[in-house]
Amino acid sequence: MSQNTNQNTTNTTSHKQEGAGKHILAFIVMIALTAVSFYLVMNNVVPKNMILPFLLILAAVQVFLQLFIFMHLNQKGSSYYTVFMIAGILIAVISGAGIMLM
Amino acid sequence: MASHIHPTDRPTKPGHLEKATLEGKNKVMGFWLFLGAETVLFACLFGTYLALRNSTMGGPTTQELYDLKLVGLATFFLLTSSLTSVLAMNAMNRLNVRAMQFWLGVTVLLGLAFLILEIYEFVHYVHEGHTFTSSAFGSSFYALVGTHGAHVTFGICWIIGLMIQTARRGLTYEMAPKLFLSSLYWHFIDVVWVFIFTLVYLLGKVG
Repeated sequence: MSQNTNQNTTNTTSHKQEGAGKHILAFIVMIALTAVSFYLVMNNVVPKNMILPFLLILAAVQVFLQLFIFMHLNQKGSSYYTVFMIAGILIAVISGAGIMLM
Repeated sequence: MASHIHPTDRPTKPGHLEKATLEGKNKVMGFWLFLGAETVLFACLFGTYLALRNSTMGGPTTQELYDLKLVGLATFFLLTSSLTSVLAMNAMNRLNVRAMQFWLGVTVLLGLAFLILEIYEFVHYVHEGHTFTSSAFGSSFYALVGTHGAHVTFGICWIIGLMIQTARRGLTYEMAPKLFLSSLYWHFIDVVWVFIFTLVYLLGKVG
């Protein structure tokens, strides 16, 4: 029982450290990244053949923010989830690229 | 730890409620497996779209069709709803049910706004002669964006259902994992949308 109480206390403290500030900051970064990618395309800033890598990097950063900050993938004890997601992404890339290049 | 808690108990201490019971932990793990599978589903639809997007059969092309202002607004709605969803989970873990219900309500409204924009967009495209059966581009476009829209629709219904259930039962150890999963699902929908606005709309506008 004492262990139970301990675990609850640690949960509480770790939660207090998290707070909404981190989430709002991540949200602002996401909005900024989205705005940048829309700006790049709408004003033809980057040459046509160079734009895809730029857009993909901006999208990838956003997805990492979603997964790790909004979906708490980096939390303690979430190694299984990460394995599932990496396996999913791996099969997804192979299938998606396979269909695209078929 | 799990054996001390009854599913209908109301939590008294803040913390990560969704993982307080073994059932909750298993639900979260199972849901990540499901999200891994969903990733593969959407990757296949993306692959199909990217392979067929130039096969317009004389119909409107991606450059003529897409309106980035509308897409930008829809993106803003969905991104913001992702934030309100995470704020709802923060409120849940602080045991503040009223705040949680408020943020879930905002999430649903933003989701509905996104959906209305998407329906408006589709109706507009059909008038322009871009339909599911008009070309390979049309089929792959509606299959991809439509599947995402169907996910948004399901997510909205799911969250409304959970809001009603929470209002009737209160926040219990059984409710917390359900609410958390709906939030994970909602973030995943947003992740998919990031790729849709990048690979479909922005890349389509570039050509």
